[in-house]
Amino acid sequence: MSRRLLVIVVAFAAAIAGFAGAKSVEAVPAFARQYDVQCNVCHTRPPRLNSFGEQFHLMGFQMPSAARPEGLVGSVKEDGWIKTLIDSLAVRVVGGIFEYSESPGESERKFAPPDEIELFITRAVTPDLSLYVELEYEPKGVSFSPSRGYFTEQKFGLGKEAFFMANLGQLLGRLGAPTMEMGGMTMVGRHGGFNMHGPMLMAGKIDPSTNFSYATNRQLILETEIEIEKEPGAPGEVHRLPVVPYALTSKFFGLFKNRDEGEPLLVTDRVMYNTPGAPGADFHAMFQNNLLLGQVGFLRENEGFNMYGVGRLDLGERRGFTFNVSALVNWGFGVAFAPELDPAEPGEVHPSGRRLDRLRAGLAANVRWKGLDVYGTFIWDRVFGLPGDLRGLFDRDAAGLTLEIDYLVHEKVMVSTRFDQLWAGGLTDRKLDGTVFSAQVKFYPWQNIAFFVRDSVNLRTVHEDNPLRSWRNQLFIGIDWDF
Amino acid sequence: MRPRTWWLAAIAPGALAIAMWISSPPPSRANGEKDHVDKGGHAHVPAPLDYADAHMPISGWTDPVMIARGKEIYVTKCAVCHGDSGDGKGPAGAALPLKPPDLRDKAGVAEMRDNYWLWRVSEGGQPEPFKSKGSAMPPWKADLSVEDRWAVIAYQHTFSGHQGPHVPWEHPEMVQVGRDIFAMACIQCHGVEGRGDGSVGATLSPRRAPQPRDLTSGQFKFRSTPSGQLPTTADLFRTVTEGVRSSGGPLTFGLSGHRIMPSFRHMPVAQRLEALEFVKSFYRGFWERAPAEAIVIPPAPPVTAERLARGKQLYADAECLACHGATGRGDGPSAPTLKDSTELPIAATDLTQPKRFKSGARPEDVYRTLRTGLAGTPMPSYADSLEPDQTWDLVYYVLSLSQEGIAREQPRGGGR
Repeated sequence: MSRRLLVIVVAFAAAIAGFAGAKSVEAVPAFARQYDVQCNVCHTRPPRLNSFGEQFHLMGFQMPSAARPEGLVGSVKEDGWIKTLIDSLAVRVVGGIFEYSESPGESERKFAPPDEIELFITRAVTPDLSLYVELEYEPKGVSFSPSRGYFTEQKFGLGKEAFFMANLGQLLGRLGAPTMEMGGMTMVGRHGGFNMHGPMLMAGKIDPSTNFSYATNRQLILETEIEIEKEPGAPGEVHRLPVVPYALTSKFFGLFKNRDEGEPLLVTDRVMYNTPGAPGADFHAMFQNNLLLGQVGFLRENEGFNMYGVGRLDLGERRGFTFNVSALVNWGFGVAFAPELDPAEPGEVHPSGRRLDRLRAGLAANVRWKGLDVYGTFIWDRVFGLPGDLRGLFDRDAAGLTLEIDYLVHEKVMVSTRFDQLWAGGLTDRKLDGTVFSAQVKFYPWQNIAFFVRDSVNLRTVHEDNPLRSWRNQLFIGIDWDF
Repeated sequence: MRPRTWWLAAIAPGALAIAMWISSPPPSRANGEKDHVDKGGHAHVPAPLDYADAHMPISGWTDPVMIARGKEIYVTKCAVCHGDSGDGKGPAGAALPLKPPDLRDKAGVAEMRDNYWLWRVSEGGQPEPFKSKGSAMPPWKADLSVEDRWAVIAYQHTFSGHQGPHVPWEHPEMVQVGRDIFAMACIQCHGVEGRGDGSVGATLSPRRAPQPRDLTSGQFKFRSTPSGQLPTTADLFRTVTEGVRSSGGPLTFGLSGHRIMPSFRHMPVAQRLEALEFVKSFYRGFWERAPAEAIVIPPAPPVTAERLARGKQLYADAECLACHGATGRGDGPSAPTLKDSTELPIAATDLTQPKRFKSGARPEDVYRTLRTGLAGTPMPSYADSLEPDQTWDLVYYVLSLSQEGIAREQPRGGGR
């Protein structure tokens, strides 16, 4: 306990010491540099977006109604190549010290220096076309192979998102729709009547969740790491699953991502609207000056694909209050493989040749009032196409609830709590529900540098054999640094 | 589908978008120009800054004497083209390349603003885009006084059947374009009703100033007008164009400008003006005030050692150091107690960081700030206590407190 306290004290002392010498430094994160604005203009506190930041994102990373007329060319003319290049890049580093315990007397501690490093390349190329590419390096990324099972390795490649976003308003204009210019961007409609910004096309490797009332790719409480266990000579297995927003996980025990490799679809794997980034195309449009937002798209998921639709209603922006509510419907075509029970080895399952479809429906809402930010989502899933021999052995319904409350206690301190409830589905002999409460204090000596302490508690009984509940407590002390 | 097929499916729409862009589609119709074609090519564009502050006295719209005077002028000077009833079918109008508009068009007239009309009557068809469209409207500013021009406007307004004053709170169509821009770019901070109570302000700088401006209060920091007066439209235009820089609170590591209100300099000028017409509609005082007059900034004198010495003395005598501190770092003895007009703590500006001066760091910007003060903050106006030349002394001393200071700015001319 005393060592833990020491670590906390050292981390915060470093933060405060750094803050004391901060005033003379010059260099910055990408969008802040490009537009010369403080991080807080778009973020409640990074990486959570405020409503202006959401608007900035919806419009393809353009200052609303004020796109640079010549885009990239204009930037090069005005700022030169070097500044334009530097302003298009950003780096994010997350790392720290991690400790978890299976019981009050048994704990494990490890240093994660850092968990991941991300390089962002992002820029509005023209008023109607933007680019966003994320490269990611993970010193200990988790992979799977049929022979080795789960194992860790260094990973480098495209990160969660790598896409371009194009405003197709001009296209609709060419097809005869009335259009109007709004700050260099083409909008459909007329002032005082129907108006629509977009449709915006986002294509490439995408996670469309930024437009949802619960935006999973803007988590203040980052997910914890998956823990792999490997016995000599045996394939690696998952010992502990990460703590993630349970509402948007796969939720089913016993499914597989693919048949040939037999990789399990873990119950906490991120699927639709919380993807780890998947090839696809997303169309979204804002109607009546952002009162309504509509979104449709398709995404690859495992060996199948998703089609989804989302509607969002925004109200407020008065007396410090704003509110939005979203509804999601998603159909996954052949996104998982059903398990096949092994008669020779009771308890063992293998992927069958049967592809399963998944219906997902959910609601999310977000209320912001002054320093308080409350958002949550309830998502229900059902799988279709189960083989007849699994009847009675497989629960085809599952649901999840995630509720987060953030409060800006002080302009440098954000306190967050999150409640995650999983009503799991899947093989009845191995499925377990999960309930986790997480709390975090994040200290921002600068707007783009944060030190944080996060603790997650498993509110259910510990099950050593089930990776969802094989732990009691997880503590993380870390740094989240954006350059 | 195989992964490659998926990538192709994802990228193909993008290729389409890029092809569209490369094919250079024709420019979009601006602000409903399609409507203008239907109306004979008459464009509704915002009045330029020279005319943006001109608003008809509200009582003028219904003043029988003024309307009668307007009729008198209209009949002798306008009816020949615009027609006796304002239908645009006067005897001389038929031969014109751009036909006079129908002033009876209730919907079209509702969209017009008083400053637009004054601009058109004053300058005629000479400014763009009217000149290119072939407007033959003569300029009347040399022949008619401002009062006479307002009188004609009040009279021709009667053709449309509108009753009462022609102001945004009676005719929201006048500021519809600006309303749409405001909804996209401004409400997140300034709120739907312009009260500065959008959801972003509270997290931008919680429980301290600056907060987003309450546009209904009539109190504006960044002005070229004397203390206690409303800003000119040009002042508001400058703020929207430059954005607002922060002072106090945690910074973004390495950022030099530290804007908390973004710069909207890339927004087309006409749209910034449209947005400002909507912003002004939050406070009726803009229609009820006497003509706005900016303070005169005399030419900047040369910097001399004597001037800097006098400035240093003034800095002490005017009690600048009480807030800004002896070295200008914003750490004077009164700094911790400073509050704005809403009782929120406010930081004294660090004068050694000109990039963070909210109202600009050019010598004329600092001069203007010293003469006008920053309304709603503890920064007073020194217009009554300092002579213009003394103000320049203080300007140069303030700028000398930073490393960039005078060396970067001099020699420069002043004035506006």
